[in-house]
Amino acid sequence: MTGLLAMFRRLEGPQTVGRGPAFWALFALVLAAALAYPLFSDGYTVGNTVYFFVWVFIALSLCLIWGYGGSLSFGQTAFFGIAGYGYGVLTINFGSAYGFTLLALVIAVAIAALFAVLLGYFMFFGRIAGVFLGIVTLAVTLMLERFMAQTAGPEWRIGAARLNGFNGMSAMPPLTIPWPGEPIVLFADIGLYYLVLGLLVLVYLALRILMNSSFGNVIVAIRENPERAEMLGYDIRKYQLITFVIGAALAGLSGVLYTVWGQYITPSSMGMTAAALPLIWVAVGGRSDLTSTVIGTLVVLAAFQALTIYGSQYALVFMGVLLVLTVLIAPNGLVLGAMNWLGRIAARFTQRAG
Amino acid sequence: MSLLELRKLNKHFGGLHVTNSVDLTLQAGEIHCLIGPNGAGKSTLFRLILGEHHPGSGDILFAGEDITALKSFARIHRGLSVKFQVPGVFRGLSVRQNLEIALQSRHRGTELEAEIGRLLHFLGLESEHTQIAGNLSHGQKQWLEIGMAVSLKPRLLLLDEPTAGMSPEETHLTGEMVQRLNADGMTVLAIEHDMAFVRQVAHRVTVLHLGQVFAQGSIDEIVADERVAAIYLGQAHA
Amino acid sequence: MDIATHVFSALYQFGDAFAFLVLSACGLAVIFGMMGVINLAHGEFIMCGAYVTAATVHAGLPLPLGILTGTLVSALVGVVVELAVIRHLYERPLDTIVATWGLSLIATQGTLIMVGSTMAGVGTPFGSFQVGDYSYSIYRIVLFCAAIGVLAALYALFNWTRFGVLARATIQVPHMAAALGVDTRLIYSLTFACGAGLAGLAGGLYAPTMTLVPTMGATFIMEAFVTVVIGGADVFLGTAPAGAVLAVVKSVMTSWQGQLFGQIGLLVAVIIVVRVLPKGISGFVLRERT
Repeated sequence: MTGLLAMFRRLEGPQTVGRGPAFWALFALVLAAALAYPLFSDGYTVGNTVYFFVWVFIALSLCLIWGYGGSLSFGQTAFFGIAGYGYGVLTINFGSAYGFTLLALVIAVAIAALFAVLLGYFMFFGRIAGVFLGIVTLAVTLMLERFMAQTAGPEWRIGAARLNGFNGMSAMPPLTIPWPGEPIVLFADIGLYYLVLGLLVLVYLALRILMNSSFGNVIVAIRENPERAEMLGYDIRKYQLITFVIGAALAGLSGVLYTVWGQYITPSSMGMTAAALPLIWVAVGGRSDLTSTVIGTLVVLAAFQALTIYGSQYALVFMGVLLVLTVLIAPNGLVLGAMNWLGRIAARFTQRAG
Repeated sequence: MSLLELRKLNKHFGGLHVTNSVDLTLQAGEIHCLIGPNGAGKSTLFRLILGEHHPGSGDILFAGEDITALKSFARIHRGLSVKFQVPGVFRGLSVRQNLEIALQSRHRGTELEAEIGRLLHFLGLESEHTQIAGNLSHGQKQWLEIGMAVSLKPRLLLLDEPTAGMSPEETHLTGEMVQRLNADGMTVLAIEHDMAFVRQVAHRVTVLHLGQVFAQGSIDEIVADERVAAIYLGQAHA
Repeated sequence: MDIATHVFSALYQFGDAFAFLVLSACGLAVIFGMMGVINLAHGEFIMCGAYVTAATVHAGLPLPLGILTGTLVSALVGVVVELAVIRHLYERPLDTIVATWGLSLIATQGTLIMVGSTMAGVGTPFGSFQVGDYSYSIYRIVLFCAAIGVLAALYALFNWTRFGVLARATIQVPHMAAALGVDTRLIYSLTFACGAGLAGLAGGLYAPTMTLVPTMGATFIMEAFVTVVIGGADVFLGTAPAGAVLAVVKSVMTSWQGQLFGQIGLLVAVIIVVRVLPKGISGFVLRERT
């Protein structure tokens, strides 16, 4: 019992909104609803929900790097793309037997992380910060998109996998879990849903623990005042690099799951528009809080999908307006603002009751 | 025993010599004040000691070790600590979290809590511990930063204008704080314009002028030195 | 082919790359140098200039007047954007990036809705000439001269006009300038308009050489970023030399391995340069001078 309490304590702290029995009871309720939901729904809707969940990982990666770390990275879709293509190349070449797809997932995420180590080393150890960090990451992302877009010719192949230029890569095998008798293939419905939901809960809780640990303290300290943080004896470059790499791995996870979900990946997933969307979700949700980011991402994605009925251009214009207005009016994010407001009301309520 | 030794330290930006062959030795256990007119190179000297700037030539020795090539954070690990001129607190975080970030690499768990409590008491910020640091008064921010600098238990504490913007009472309290720290064995090097503060705490005073050591001695010797008065007056006329 | 034609070919490619880098970057650099703000809608101002130029040329105006109109309309849009959005974000440079990205999204998709997926282009004027076995476009030479002209005009503007002097004072010590009675807000507005206008000019100048699509800004923006990152905050000490250095990298890599590798070469150059000179070329030059 005390062990359980200690674990809960590590999930709470000044870096994350939501604490106490009321919050975790609500969390359990939402989780139970999410677990039960596929039983009352059809395969298509469940698949669509998986699509929403897939994007939450890249949103969380941006929340970590930008919201907590204070470094604006436009490069998250680059890691998304690298891992997505990585998974494609690996599984098309080596197939899905013996649970290789799961290994491919891990390797693809690792490749994205490795790329982040390289890029991050040059940026953080070159003391690139602020505005320039955003530009360098964006330039790298656009470069990757251009590179992948011109790989249409048959000479652009890695083993059996054609990169296929602007049309992108497709027909990679879905995730497959080896099972005695018959392997379980996770198509984009209930099977994949539970896997992605499980990963989401795991990543969310792990990030809560990380951000409320002493490591998280240093990360927000660097955001607030890098010079002071260094003069407390922290090698800030190292902390920034580690955060960047964790973020890249999460974005990569998003990329692999996206590729698995639709069994395709295209260069435009790294383009300007694709890179803008995570930024909008996170900014609207509330970049400096994990829970707000998750809620914001899901809400904005749902709104976006509802709007695309009128045409995706209109939906994108709306997204742009939403982003500009958020930055101007509620720079800390709409969901976070609402949650803080609810928190204050709840506090007043309990005070009056007590 | 000398704790910090600067040998022929040169730093120039283009043609301008900001520090020019500065020699300065700090004895372990002393409170040493650095004074001088604006532009004398005091803050640059601090940045050289801290490794934020690198000298064109010369050496910096700390406790006998040459630290000239070390990065800032590594110098902090050797036992240096600083309070900046403009209060460098983590403005968006609570007072408690500010101190926690300073203390967490040395203490954990209940011991960490106890250290935070002790430091809050020392700084007189107990009732402010949940406040956001950015909302503190200017003097309180100065104290909080001193607290963060002190929490590293440094052998040498660098204070850049610790009493700037403080009332005379606050200045006096800060002086007492510095004396208590010194009594516990901390060596202090402070840049200060407030002569009352210098008189209150300084064992020795060094006057820096145009990037060079101009005079050195006790506060009474410095005040009696007509040449020192002349450079301050010259500054006032210029 | 003799040596002279090789040299001419190399010079031509260098000039072409230099013009593209400088023209795409100087609007961005003016705004960045002045306000420390990166305008991510820069590419869309270029697109605006190109579209307006094409529209006016279709309406019967000669090309130079069309380019002038494109420049002015972009500058005007710049004023509006500064008043509506940028002005409120001066204390938050990262948020400015985010907001201008939102604007870029609105502009790209809005143009797609209103004008459609392409716009009829403008023919490249002047034709071509022959050196050795290759033919070269005369208009590319005009573009190179335009780049030099823009740099010269900016130099004159910032050194010899009252606006330029006030603007430089505002860059160096904004509080002091404000205390001396300089309307810093007006200076910021004018600077932003100037940067937007320069973007529009780049768009107008390149309108005859490319297909006009709503996403055409993206073609310019990477080169613009790269030049500004390497150059740093000063247009003359930064953008121009950075343009020259990168033009060498780009033209050599392009003639060796094709256009894509030209761009990859740029990117690699940037990442290496930022590791060595974090404040860019102008930061390096200024540090050595002061």
